[in-house]
Amino acid sequence: MPVVSHVTCPVCGSFCDDIEVIVKNNVITDVRNACAVGAAKFLDYANHRNAKPLVRKNGELVEASWDEAVRKSAEILIDATYPLLYGWSSTSCEAIRVGLELAEEVGGVIDNTSTICHGPSILSIQDVGIASCTLGQLRHRADLIFYWGCNPWSAHPRHVERYTTFSNGRFQKSTWRAHVSRLGGILSKKRLRRAINLVLGRDVFATPEISRELPYNMFQKKRKMVVVDVRKTHSAEAADYFLQVEPNKDYELLQAFRMLIADEELDVDHVAGVPVETLNEIADVMIGCKLGVIFFGLGLTMTEGKIRNIDAAISLVRDLNQRTKFLIMPMRGHFNVAGANVVFTWQTGYPFAVDFSQGYPQYNPGETSVIDILCREEADAGLVIASDPVAHFPKKAAQNLVKNPLIVIDPQTTPTSLMADVVFPSTFVGIETEGTAYRMDHVPLPLKKIVEPPSNCLSDVEILQRILHEVRRIRSKRK
Amino acid sequence: MITLYPKRLFKAPLDAQCITPDIFAEKPVSKIAELQIWEGNQKRTLDQLFKIEYNAKNQSEEMTIRILGDVRKARRIGAKMSTGKIIIDGDTGMHLGEEMQGGTIVVAGSAGSWTGCMMKKGIIQIKGDAGDYIGAAYRGSTRGMNGGEIVIQGNAGNEVGCFMRNGLIRIDGNVGQFVGIHMRNGTIIVQGNSEGRTGAQMSGGKIVVCGHTPSILPTFTVDSIKSKVKVNGEIVKGPFYKFVGDLAEDGNGKLFVSQIQNPHLKFYEKYLE
Repeated sequence: MPVVSHVTCPVCGSFCDDIEVIVKNNVITDVRNACAVGAAKFLDYANHRNAKPLVRKNGELVEASWDEAVRKSAEILIDATYPLLYGWSSTSCEAIRVGLELAEEVGGVIDNTSTICHGPSILSIQDVGIASCTLGQLRHRADLIFYWGCNPWSAHPRHVERYTTFSNGRFQKSTWRAHVSRLGGILSKKRLRRAINLVLGRDVFATPEISRELPYNMFQKKRKMVVVDVRKTHSAEAADYFLQVEPNKDYELLQAFRMLIADEELDVDHVAGVPVETLNEIADVMIGCKLGVIFFGLGLTMTEGKIRNIDAAISLVRDLNQRTKFLIMPMRGHFNVAGANVVFTWQTGYPFAVDFSQGYPQYNPGETSVIDILCREEADAGLVIASDPVAHFPKKAAQNLVKNPLIVIDPQTTPTSLMADVVFPSTFVGIETEGTAYRMDHVPLPLKKIVEPPSNCLSDVEILQRILHEVRRIRSKRK
Repeated sequence: MITLYPKRLFKAPLDAQCITPDIFAEKPVSKIAELQIWEGNQKRTLDQLFKIEYNAKNQSEEMTIRILGDVRKARRIGAKMSTGKIIIDGDTGMHLGEEMQGGTIVVAGSAGSWTGCMMKKGIIQIKGDAGDYIGAAYRGSTRGMNGGEIVIQGNAGNEVGCFMRNGLIRIDGNVGQFVGIHMRNGTIIVQGNSEGRTGAQMSGGKIVVCGHTPSILPTFTVDSIKSKVKVNGEIVKGPFYKFVGDLAEDGNGKLFVSQIQNPHLKFYEKYLE
């Protein structure tokens, strides 16, 4: 049976590159090494496919020829005064490059999904800079790993195993054995507590109080993982220490850490619901590590404070670097969202929310970002590629998006494609089409073609090039 | 005086940086009508979008532009203006008076975000509400408002006076979070309530909050209780808790918070005994 090895997984920002896929008669029959999310994509991608180009006529989406769909979408984009081009993070860098050319040609606003995830991180990086590295460095050297406002166990399932605490690095050993034995301990503790509660007639289902005390292994000289979150997630259970904070208080906590690291006194007893003594102990652990890293997720970027949370986190890392070596890295969501930022930057100078309406790139998130434009009802046409904004945007933004003529390029039927005026069936990049994508640490990796695409589907690059050529053809004709 | 009437309601944003007394000055109306203005990705002339009226009777020394109607999609009105006056009888959009170097802008309605960003001199008066980033710096820049005065009679959004370097911002209503973040110098006075995180990462300057604030950042230390504060030569009666910070930035900013409106901050008084 043919096995395709070294396949990159087009799902999350970890972008694992050690997947093995078993193919039989152009059908993927099995996947090795992938997590549940990755395996599900490889095995089930063929369901709910868009089979043919669709165009809305008399209120209904009907099948159309490629030429008709391309002409209709080119006309929509040319006639618009302020078109939006959104998505990009789940397609290849090659397609993004063509998309930017199209945005410039039609004088539109082009934005990628960072606008609703790590956009605030990018803004703060532009404000304060960032001390970061590649994941390989952390795998071999990091001995203190913070996951702040993110849940890798569920969202980036192989992140801990491949790059941090459970990976076996050259200088840092994996701690999975300790984790397994601790799991046993946690289970027996849970059983014991339940038994005691039953005997004493207490509420068995009451959530147990979380101990603030730092365990002994936090002071040992081995790899440690700390999770900072508002609730006890699966990642928090796998961690050596779980720091529970009050929701929307991360900014205060980060700033308090900065004070403690600078050996300053605080006037308060508790910050974000955590006693200052506990914070002091954690600050000591931070200073005492050889190489620490903070991975942060949407728990920081999309809660109260947004960019300023990241501003404080990066400043904390800067302060820590005067005492030891510390790094920080955003946990990017889509497999190529980092690539979207990189391609946007090398083409226009700005990583997201780029406005080409005056012929040259302008950038000011809040003014040129897609959610704000939609909420202010400024756009009059839209092109969505490899994304599903109708399912994810705030209600008002989604309503205003579908009010205007909408073009969707997607391999699958989504809520957005059902609301569109033109739908293009594309191929899956990384499964049916080759390409390039950037991992969360900005390392470019190739996306492989494993199986042949259905006969009626074209790649994102090809579809965008056809629209671009049609736009140019109609423009020159009108002139 | 030149009066502009919008001919219709706008949908796409207008880049109206040509509407300033400096550009209008000493131009005949025919030339003003030909000024270029962007509506979305379309180049238009000013007379395609506005009815222009020239009134020679009230001609004083100062060049005055009056806009009658809703121009909330118009951005950068009064950008880089150094003299004269703009009166807007209605709402206006973002970047009002950005990099302003002198003159006066009066808005009867509300203004958008980035009002008076990076302004150096002059007065902006808004009778309604304003958006976020009043008197702030641009993305990635550390040079916010550097002089002049902004008065907002309604409420303002988040990050008022971000990276502010000098000048005065006066807000009669309530404000959002992060008033005076990264501010280096200058004064902000808020008559209403603040949503908190006031003075975050400030390294200098003065912020006065006369209303309620949910909490003070842990990086501020209480200094004293003052019975009054002087703002721009004017005395504001207290009593006020005086905090100093932001210590995480080694800052020396002064934050005055009303004692009467904030009984939950009473625990700070134990450090003053």
